[in-house]
Amino acid sequence: MLDQLATIQTEALAALAAITDETSLEEARIAFLGKKGSLTAAAAGMRDVPVDQKKEVGQKLNEVREAITSALEVAAADLIAKKDAAAFASIDPTLPARPLPEGGLHPLTLVLDEAVRVLRRMGFALAEGPEIETEWHCFDALNTPADHPARNESDTFYFENGKLLRTHTSSVQIRTMEKEVPPVRIIAPGSAFRRDEIDATHLSAFHQLEGLYVDQRVTLSDLKGTLEYFFREIFGSKTEFRFRPHFFPFTEPSFEVDIKLHAAGRAAKWIEIAGCGMVDPAVFSEVGRKRGDAAYDPDRVTGFAFGMGLDRLAMIMYGIPDLRLLIENDVRFLQQFRG
Amino acid sequence: MKVSLQWLGDHVDFSEYSIQRLDELLTFAGIEVEGIESLPDHLVVAQILSSEKHPDAEKLSVCQVDDGTGKPRQIVCGAKNYQVGDKVPLALPGCVLDGGGGKAFTIQEGKLRGVDSLGMMCSAKELGLAADADGLLILSPELKAGTPMSEIYPAVFELEITPNRPDCLSHLGVARELAALAKKPLKGRLHFGESTTPVRPAGADEVLLESEACPYYTARIIRGVKVTDSPVWLRQKLESIGLRPINNLVDITNYVLMETGQPLHVFDLAKLEGGIVVRQAAAGETFLALDGKEYELAPEDLVIADAQRAVAIGGVMGGEDSGVVETTVDVLLEAAYFNPQGVRRTGRRLGLHSDSSYRFERGVDPLQVAGVSEFATKLILELAGGTADPELLVAGCAGEGPKPVELDNDYCRRIIGAEIPDTTIDGILASLGLEKAGLFWKIPSYRLDLARPIDLVEEVARVHGLEGIPAATKATFSPASKADEAYDYLRFLQDRLASLGFHEARNLKLISDAQLEDDFATSHRGMSPVRLKNPLNDEQDYLRPGIVPGLLASASRNVRFGNSNLRLFEAGRVFVASMKGEEIEHEHLALLMTGARGLRSWTDSKPTALDVHDLRAVLEAICPDGLNLVPASDGRLLSACAVEIGTGKKAMKIGMAGIVPPSRARELDLGAPVLVAELNLKKLMAAAKSEIRHADLPKFPGSSRDVAMLVPGDLPAGDLAAFFEGYEEPLLISAELFDVFTDPSGAKLASDKKSLAFSLLYRDPEKTLESAEVETAHGKLLDSLKRTFNVEFR
Repeated sequence: MLDQLATIQTEALAALAAITDETSLEEARIAFLGKKGSLTAAAAGMRDVPVDQKKEVGQKLNEVREAITSALEVAAADLIAKKDAAAFASIDPTLPARPLPEGGLHPLTLVLDEAVRVLRRMGFALAEGPEIETEWHCFDALNTPADHPARNESDTFYFENGKLLRTHTSSVQIRTMEKEVPPVRIIAPGSAFRRDEIDATHLSAFHQLEGLYVDQRVTLSDLKGTLEYFFREIFGSKTEFRFRPHFFPFTEPSFEVDIKLHAAGRAAKWIEIAGCGMVDPAVFSEVGRKRGDAAYDPDRVTGFAFGMGLDRLAMIMYGIPDLRLLIENDVRFLQQFRG
Repeated sequence: MKVSLQWLGDHVDFSEYSIQRLDELLTFAGIEVEGIESLPDHLVVAQILSSEKHPDAEKLSVCQVDDGTGKPRQIVCGAKNYQVGDKVPLALPGCVLDGGGGKAFTIQEGKLRGVDSLGMMCSAKELGLAADADGLLILSPELKAGTPMSEIYPAVFELEITPNRPDCLSHLGVARELAALAKKPLKGRLHFGESTTPVRPAGADEVLLESEACPYYTARIIRGVKVTDSPVWLRQKLESIGLRPINNLVDITNYVLMETGQPLHVFDLAKLEGGIVVRQAAAGETFLALDGKEYELAPEDLVIADAQRAVAIGGVMGGEDSGVVETTVDVLLEAAYFNPQGVRRTGRRLGLHSDSSYRFERGVDPLQVAGVSEFATKLILELAGGTADPELLVAGCAGEGPKPVELDNDYCRRIIGAEIPDTTIDGILASLGLEKAGLFWKIPSYRLDLARPIDLVEEVARVHGLEGIPAATKATFSPASKADEAYDYLRFLQDRLASLGFHEARNLKLISDAQLEDDFATSHRGMSPVRLKNPLNDEQDYLRPGIVPGLLASASRNVRFGNSNLRLFEAGRVFVASMKGEEIEHEHLALLMTGARGLRSWTDSKPTALDVHDLRAVLEAICPDGLNLVPASDGRLLSACAVEIGTGKKAMKIGMAGIVPPSRARELDLGAPVLVAELNLKKLMAAAKSEIRHADLPKFPGSSRDVAMLVPGDLPAGDLAAFFEGYEEPLLISAELFDVFTDPSGAKLASDKKSLAFSLLYRDPEKTLESAEVETAHGKLLDSLKRTFNVEFR
């Protein structure tokens, strides 16, 4: 009996070692462990084993059963592993990807969003105003002389009713101060319009980002700190820039901000990037006159304002050579900004 | 304005300043340097000592030249226009010249066809002194060999003077400013406010001021002048800033203008009939100006006239037939003050601008008029001879000059935000020519821009510079505004659309009359488009009432460039006018899709065309739950639908969606169906603004039943969806349409029918459903379906 069991074990392990597929595995299982299998038959012979040998034979029977069962499991696992390997082997990972839809944001949106993120960290809230403006909001309230050339019909788009397309987002300064009392700390991105023929460096519509901070004791030092922080966040901490005295009707003192641009293969040069200054007391007085209160009494509040061209910023940040690319919406251009 | 460095040197000694340092000084004075014309180093005058034919090149010569070192230098040269003994510019090795197109090249020692050449002799073009030139620039024989060329052609700055600083529109003005900033003394006078010439009020028959546009007019009569060419120094000065010398009298007025900023005019006294009358023009009066053109004047124009006719447009330009010519003997020198507004208006109306009008428009110093007249008279007597009347004829009044301005230095520090000491503040203002008198500052007559305390603060800030001011970084807190919410919501939509394969477009908001027709996807009842009064051209005369017209133009352009699979979106303002003519601005979001659903690839070699269901998918992806597309009659789109959020009384129309009419699409070169939608962003945001609440997950499994039914071909699937939505059966959780089948051939089902299959999910929140309960509920539902739609189950 013990010999018989040993033979069954030898045969079974040999058979399982030769297994190639699931069918032969199942056949082997039935041949040894099935109802009519050889081990099952051998187990049935236990009753004929003399009592004094039953323990020994029984142990051997269990050993053989365990050996065959575990060999079966190994063979089965082996089969699955082989199948998995075969499945993986058929994959060609060098095939191109199954395409996913690919979209992206306009470069001006990307530039604006970066600017907005920085300025929001600095405590600015967004503000807006109409693009069809009154002459008062666009010029008069901003201390622009009645015969200033910017008001010419050759430079500014007008409507029959005397309104105009705002020539700068600075009109949002006035809109905001009309409604809100200080402290006011806002940024206003938006479109502005000038009656320019379209070419590589001019569009009849462009995008600006306006800033205004009015409170008690706002100083030129605050303006400097704000714009230095902003431009270093945008262009990097090593950015060189300079505040150059300038003139705007609605700020005094006024400055233009230049950054030093290092384009590959060219001498570094200063590029004008923003205008800024301390809100002219005449602007506060005019706002106060319209409001009919003393919220913007120039003896009580001071403020700074700044404005920058987003189109120009995009040209600098992405090396875009021609402004018209920004309004033509060629997807081959737009795809370049997917990031 | 062109300013010559050499000319500035008449006033201030800047000899130890490099051009770069002067550039910086000007820039930080607030004077923008738009360009600098200057000759490079290592460029000298050379005399040609000999010239022989090149042994190996027909067209070249080998010259020996004297470069001032005393040792002959050999140069190979291709030009032919010189003679031995001529003086020419010589670029020595190391000299950097502009090779055109902004590219610099450096002169090096080298060999030309085997012969040593130790430099290059230059043409005017090579030095940037002329646009075109034949051969070498032949210099004046008096020049010494070795003299740096930059001494003969000094640097010229092209300056942009801001409108608040008309006092800088002259060499003296710029010199005055630079001297203050560089803390250098002026060599000569600070201004021309003083005059020693006695004045005599003009009689009405001599000078009659009829208009307020000219408050002050002076005339000086000079007899017996000789009109001839100006001396070299004067001609060179004018040429150095790009002015053409004409004759000594005209040149003097131009020189004095550029020197002092005060425009002058010289009349030929013989051509004037009677006295000067300063009056408004008569309607229809014509005037032949110096530029040879005839101008028709209007009553708002100011003219200088004699008894017969206008002889000058006040402050703008003199007349062709009253000016100085070779035969002129007696002259009247006009020096006056014209009001800026009048000159500006006339200049603009006539499109006529001159160096004079440019200065009058911005404001000249009235108190300088007499002094400048005296200065010019002296020059005329020197250079043209003659005798001046002892007195200056004067009409009107030059005024008092600027009023003193009070400045509290604490106010100055408060605006700047830095502890600038009193001595610094006072020092800066004094350096600019202001005089302190108690709490007030006396303002020089030429500083028309200094009238308020803040104007003085600006001067302090400007001269002090921001460099030395601390950068403060304090901030106030700001609550989110409505604009913040709108911005964040739009950013969410932008990102979502980008991830759905859309590219963001930005079109001009100005569109053409024809493009208005493309505004398919908005319905502005009772509104009209907004038209510009002064458009640039008829392609841009309306403000867009919707965004789709721009997207269609972009799509058309893309398709012409071979980009035919397009998903574009754009967000921004649109404009309409109400019946009352009031402009209304809305924020819109528009979508455009056309072409194939996916990109052609090995996984899908024939991607199918996009259809309305793709558009709906996108709308659902960006809209809050409860989106409905309701067939609309007021759109000109195919399959036009109103986009609504919510149903019944709660429904809010937020936009339109559909297919662009194929005839229009073909006109735009767009072949495949073009799907568009346009939504009102504010309404969309309002609909999206619902509070999100957590719901418990189901604890028990559900049980689903599929039902396929045959319905009339024209029954909208939405009707069935609405039936399931409204069906009152607490166990019914959802009904999903999973199959639509039609057979136009009629073989498998009638061609006028379609088969719709829904998967219905039943679930009891409290327990596991028994099969029998599901069957009962499902049976009731099928009965109800049959009764309602007369469907046939398959």
